Amino acid sequence: MRTKKTLWLGVLFMAIFCGFTANAQQRITVSGTVTDAETGQPLPGVTVVEQGTTNGTSADFDGNYSIDVASDAVLTFSSVGYAAQNIPVNGRTQIDLSLSVDSQQLDEVVIVGYGTQTSRKVTGAVQQIDSEQLADIPVPQVTQKLQGRLVGVQINQTTGKPGQGIQVRVRGQASILAGSDPLYVVDGFPIVGDISSINPDEIESISVLKDAASTSLYGSRAANGVVLITTKSGKTEQGGFSISYYGGVQTVPQKGRPDLMNGTEFAQFKKESYEDLGQPVPEPFQNPEQYGEGYNWYDAMLRTAPIQSLNINWNARGERSSVAVVAGVFQQEGVMINSDFKRYSLRANSKFKLNDQLDLGISVAPTYTIDNLPSSDGAFYATNVNAGIPGGLLTNAMQTWPILPYQNEDGTLPLTAWIPGISAFPTPNWYRAAKEIKNETKSMRVLGNVYLQYKPIDGLTLKTSINGDFGNSSFFNFSPSTVSTTFAALPPAIATSIRRESKYLSWLNENTVTYAKSFGDHNFEVLGGISYQKYEADNTQLYLSNFPDDRVRTIQSALNIDRTRSFNNINEWSLTSYFSRLNYDYNGKYLITLALRRDGSSRFGSNNRWGNFPSVSAGWVFSDEDFTESLDFMSFGKIRASYGIIGNNNIGNYTQYALVDNSLNAVFGNTIASGAGVTTLGNSNLGWERTKQLDIGLDLRFFDNRVEFIYDYYKKNTTDLLFNVDIPQESGFTNFNDNVGEIEFWGHEFAVISRNISNDNFTWTTNFNVAFNRNKVISLADGVDRIFNPGGAYTSITRPGEPLGQFWGLIHDGVYDNQAEFDASPRAVESEVGTVKFVDVNGDGVITFGNENDDRTVIGNPFPDYIFGLTNDFKYKNWDASIVISGSVGNDIAVTNDQGTTNLDGVFNVLRDVKDRWRSPENPGSGRYGKTTGATFMERDWFSSRFIEDGSYLTVKNITVGYSFPLRETSFLKRARLYGSIQQALVITGYRGVNPEISTTTQGQQANALALGYDWGAYPVPRTFTLGFNLSF
Amino acid sequence: MKKIITIVTLIAAGTFMSCSEDFLQLPPEDSLSQTIFFETQSDFEQAINATYAPLRDLHEVGAANFQGAWGMGELPSDNTYYKYNPNYRAVQDGESIADFYVNDGNGTITNKYTTNYLIIARANQILALIDEVEFDDSAVKDNVRGQAHFLRALAYFDLVQFYGSVPLHLVPVTGRDDAALPLSTPDAIYTQILSDVNEAIGLLPSKSAQEEGRATRGAAQMLLANIHMVQENWSSAESVLTALVGSGEYDLLGDYADVFDINNKNSVESIFEVQFLEGTEGFASSFQYAWLPMPLTADQVAEITGVGNSQAANTEGFNIPTPDLLESYEDGDLRKTVSIDSIEVDETFFPYIDKFWTPHSTPQITGSNWPVYRYSEALLFMAEAVNEQGRPGDAEQYLNAVRSRAGLTPITGVDQATMRQAIMDERRVELAFENKRWPDLVRTGMAQTVMSAFGDRVKANPQEYYFPEGFGPPAAAFTTIYETFPLPASEALLNPNF
Repeated sequence: MRTKKTLWLGVLFMAIFCGFTANAQQRITVSGTVTDAETGQPLPGVTVVEQGTTNGTSADFDGNYSIDVASDAVLTFSSVGYAAQNIPVNGRTQIDLSLSVDSQQLDEVVIVGYGTQTSRKVTGAVQQIDSEQLADIPVPQVTQKLQGRLVGVQINQTTGKPGQGIQVRVRGQASILAGSDPLYVVDGFPIVGDISSINPDEIESISVLKDAASTSLYGSRAANGVVLITTKSGKTEQGGFSISYYGGVQTVPQKGRPDLMNGTEFAQFKKESYEDLGQPVPEPFQNPEQYGEGYNWYDAMLRTAPIQSLNINWNARGERSSVAVVAGVFQQEGVMINSDFKRYSLRANSKFKLNDQLDLGISVAPTYTIDNLPSSDGAFYATNVNAGIPGGLLTNAMQTWPILPYQNEDGTLPLTAWIPGISAFPTPNWYRAAKEIKNETKSMRVLGNVYLQYKPIDGLTLKTSINGDFGNSSFFNFSPSTVSTTFAALPPAIATSIRRESKYLSWLNENTVTYAKSFGDHNFEVLGGISYQKYEADNTQLYLSNFPDDRVRTIQSALNIDRTRSFNNINEWSLTSYFSRLNYDYNGKYLITLALRRDGSSRFGSNNRWGNFPSVSAGWVFSDEDFTESLDFMSFGKIRASYGIIGNNNIGNYTQYALVDNSLNAVFGNTIASGAGVTTLGNSNLGWERTKQLDIGLDLRFFDNRVEFIYDYYKKNTTDLLFNVDIPQESGFTNFNDNVGEIEFWGHEFAVISRNISNDNFTWTTNFNVAFNRNKVISLADGVDRIFNPGGAYTSITRPGEPLGQFWGLIHDGVYDNQAEFDASPRAVESEVGTVKFVDVNGDGVITFGNENDDRTVIGNPFPDYIFGLTNDFKYKNWDASIVISGSVGNDIAVTNDQGTTNLDGVFNVLRDVKDRWRSPENPGSGRYGKTTGATFMERDWFSSRFIEDGSYLTVKNITVGYSFPLRETSFLKRARLYGSIQQALVITGYRGVNPEISTTTQGQQANALALGYDWGAYPVPRTFTLGFNLSF
Repeated sequence: MKKIITIVTLIAAGTFMSCSEDFLQLPPEDSLSQTIFFETQSDFEQAINATYAPLRDLHEVGAANFQGAWGMGELPSDNTYYKYNPNYRAVQDGESIADFYVNDGNGTITNKYTTNYLIIARANQILALIDEVEFDDSAVKDNVRGQAHFLRALAYFDLVQFYGSVPLHLVPVTGRDDAALPLSTPDAIYTQILSDVNEAIGLLPSKSAQEEGRATRGAAQMLLANIHMVQENWSSAESVLTALVGSGEYDLLGDYADVFDINNKNSVESIFEVQFLEGTEGFASSFQYAWLPMPLTADQVAEITGVGNSQAANTEGFNIPTPDLLESYEDGDLRKTVSIDSIEVDETFFPYIDKFWTPHSTPQITGSNWPVYRYSEALLFMAEAVNEQGRPGDAEQYLNAVRSRAGLTPITGVDQATMRQAIMDERRVELAFENKRWPDLVRTGMAQTVMSAFGDRVKANPQEYYFPEGFGPPAAAFTTIYETFPLPASEALLNPNF
């Protein structure tokens, strides 16, 4: 095997370097400026393609472009809404031209997997966004900037933690256990993890590949969709230098903050609870008015915080080399106290022309991030990471009694917030906890790439590349003695600290050959390639406790190292791949693409190591047919269809193995004896999840391309789902990892791009998209008719025939107002007059939660009916403006945080409307809350429709207004623009919280597809006001 | 230039493209996998050690909402109850056991069930593979096999006593198909237990020849005697107990308090105990903390535990000795003050279990072992076995050995029924809080009457049973006294045979 392949490679490379050099042609660099024929203004974003090849570029903001082409090439210049032009180079190095509106052609260059394609010839479902469109949006992550712009891609900001919490789902992708995040490919390198650490200013364009035909070249990693990131490269011949800066403030809007009782209301609530119980009212509650407003603990956790970003771009191009450098500084203080995020980044992309046929590219991009984020999210009993350190700080603050101060009058901070003998739970001062817990991660990431590209003859390109992604991060948590967790003892507690060092290296070697050739009107392009990728990670955690002094936080000052929470993990995977693709078209009218990838992975069981991922797609540009000539209003029309099989290999690195845990130690007398036992069952047949996807699309342009319409229908069937099938613990194990079941996804996507107005002074462009994504479980494992939330709650149910993760509970039906109603109604064993009343769904006359006669039913759906985005861009003389809207309709949110904030036991502060609870038959309240004096647990612990809210929303994500100063042509400045921007400008929703995109686990982590839509409390998403400028020299 | 690049590229190609299957073989480095385990004597020695590990979980406090073995062995009985805390209500699991209205979602019931099967699975793994492996020392092999048989028998005995019919797994499970078995009858399970115990008796060394804390021949004999007692095979019980008593390996310690002294772990009186170790390595016990008559201030906790940096305890106290138990001690019984103490909270005295407290330095981290079988119980079993065969006179010496240490006068010359009651009374106080009372009530058929009467007393006078003014047990309490517990709901969901 090895000999054969090495031989093959030898031949390949011999061919590259010896065989074809004789036929090489002279290659030159052509550059110039493209302008609008009518206005004479520079035309940004024009695509320039060497005809008959995949070689292309696009003009920058000032209409400048530069491209390496054969000296006898023909260049095609195109831009949406303009007539394309074909210009023979004829050896020139400078070609300036102007384009006029009204084009019959559509030849934008689109970045696709392993190459580029003109959009005319694309047969898959691909959407490309140029970063120019995103530049003004004041957020740290590029995925955040994409909200509302991508059709069929749901981008939710599930938490407002700076630099975190963006969940991207392409076409409603979901899995039971395997990851559902798309694959991110940066300059051809499939990276591990996401792109949250990448400075958005380094990015030139983003392509999202959605259907199987466009993703299948990524094989076993393609099923969640692929996001291709192309970073900036050197462009203008003169070289350019530009600075962008914005700065501003962030605040949490008042609307959406929890409406909790104030001091007087809470004391009154407690007083009434004691009175209703017939017990003496303790002294602190006897005179509620004394507290006035009391202390607003939630507001105390928040602040107005600054944000700023500075980016410097420099690029240059010489005769034989080009370089682009982007340096960025981003600093964001969080709107929650003691939280911040900083990023310092640099990217240098350079390209050298070693000779006429040989290009060498080198790029390196180091990024250093520091985030200090308190464990703000999750339920009040959440804990940080894997340790007894409090999480859910915001929820805990919300629930703290408002009659108790978070800060003394002299400015000092109390240690606790409880009244001895009266408070139920020992409660630390959460405000102080948030201030004093250190929870900091410092990460360094370096992305690097070296490639050699050889073009021995016209149309043939051989390329070999080595990519590396190296990361190193240090996490440091220190929980001082002033901090304790819910239900635990009061502080002073035992000070603890976690130190975690993580490092990883992922490398890829990839070798490709492409050959493009036309025979008359028959155009062929063939791609073949081999790649090897390996990932190695090493995490070490030390858990230290018993620090004698909170001020000395070093390892040696801890009296104790907790062995059970200290560990070293090693994680590795490897992937070997072979891939090939054939593009064929006849006269640009009939298009066919075939692709195949074969992946072998260390993650797959030994009996199932290799998988094949084929796809086929076809397109027909029917507007080129004679019979459409009469349809003058239609300037372009294409039908496309694709089908393919793709995989999801996010099944864990060692899931196939039966692991022996050798820390199952025993004690004998005073001796510790090492013990080892099998703790998981192995499965040597374990493999990837397999998705078969069909896509049918229609691209139409009308009125000389003024209006563009794109429609896609897709249907995906994911089978062989990774499923940790629960098995009875009588086996000694809890589950068995298997590939089982099937989920079906389907949907419709529409996008309309309309240049409503376009004249010398005023342009107005509207971009609207809407997607209807659906999913349905076809089957689960044999004998499994339902599964619930991971982690033991039974509030989201997944059953064959229904969508994933439906909210599952009792239907709330008010309160038993009086004895007559009580006697006449179905009730639970524990029910009393004045307690919560539920609907007797199964009609057996008894309310039952769980067990055989369960009255629970589906009470909500976390998936939206449709999601949409609407972007309007305006330009009036020197002014520009844009407004970005995104929205979701029909999804439900389960506000499970109400378990705490409507707890009738009086142990926590509660929502203001709990005032309106049942107190007596004469005073039955609003019917939403029962009495405080008995059987309160049903209302709290029996999940019911009372917790469900409509989560539909329309969010004005961003409003930007800019002004470009008119500049003399002789000015050293080429461009000067000032702008103001409001992010998260307006949220219109019936949901009462601050962020309708919320979805977390009880621990405040990103939610699994089986348990979406829970509001367990999360860091609020702020509204951000910024001012910024762009200067180009 | 071109040549250099060619060479560099070819080297790179050769380095990275070793595209054999080796590149795709990446077994975990931070843990062992089964493919390379169970091959040496040392592997099996580690495997048997791991089989003991779940015994700690079985007897420890567990997570917030469930209790260790005492939650089902003692709490349902008339020996202990809970101290209702109106301000801490996340305690339905524990209260519903004490009050006899459990449901099958109960964490305590689930924990006992699943933890026993963990022991069984590890023992099965050893017994399935051990014969194929060559040991350096065949005595070690016998010893390991003996321990595996003993631990499997102990686990199944616990299961059959508390649940009745349960699935009988005797070989390792390999996947989904063999994970769920039908329920086996108690008879079938007892047959298997007897076979395992007898095997263990033949294989295990005596206590003096065994490493401290491990299963011994004596432990297996005691387990066998216990099974015979449950099955009322009195003569068989007598014969195995005779061997145990006659082995010379066991004796009573001088003082009752000595038995629980941290320095007397695995003493001459100990037949089998679950091993804990003070420290932060994860082997410490803390079950005593669940039995504090909470809520208590930090000072009150310190008074009981003797630990200076104690923290306030604010949940609900379980396993609080009942007034019934306090009364059942005869006057002058030296064990009463060793077993139980009390603390004044808001001008009321609350009793708490004192005999398991041992000196320790950090809250929640004690080194106290859990006594499963003690020699005094062997003597009381012996007394019972001979009395039940109509020889109350022969029972006297065994009963009175236990009584005399407690400072009580001997019982002599009584009839069989009186002797039977005397033995039961003696077991109640001698073995108080050692998870014997509830199984004794069940095996002697007294559970129904004793617990109904107890329930009536609690309901009639809840304040005597530590309810604050205005509170009492729920209406459903003590309405049905059952002798076995329901199989866990989480298992019923997954096993179609339930």
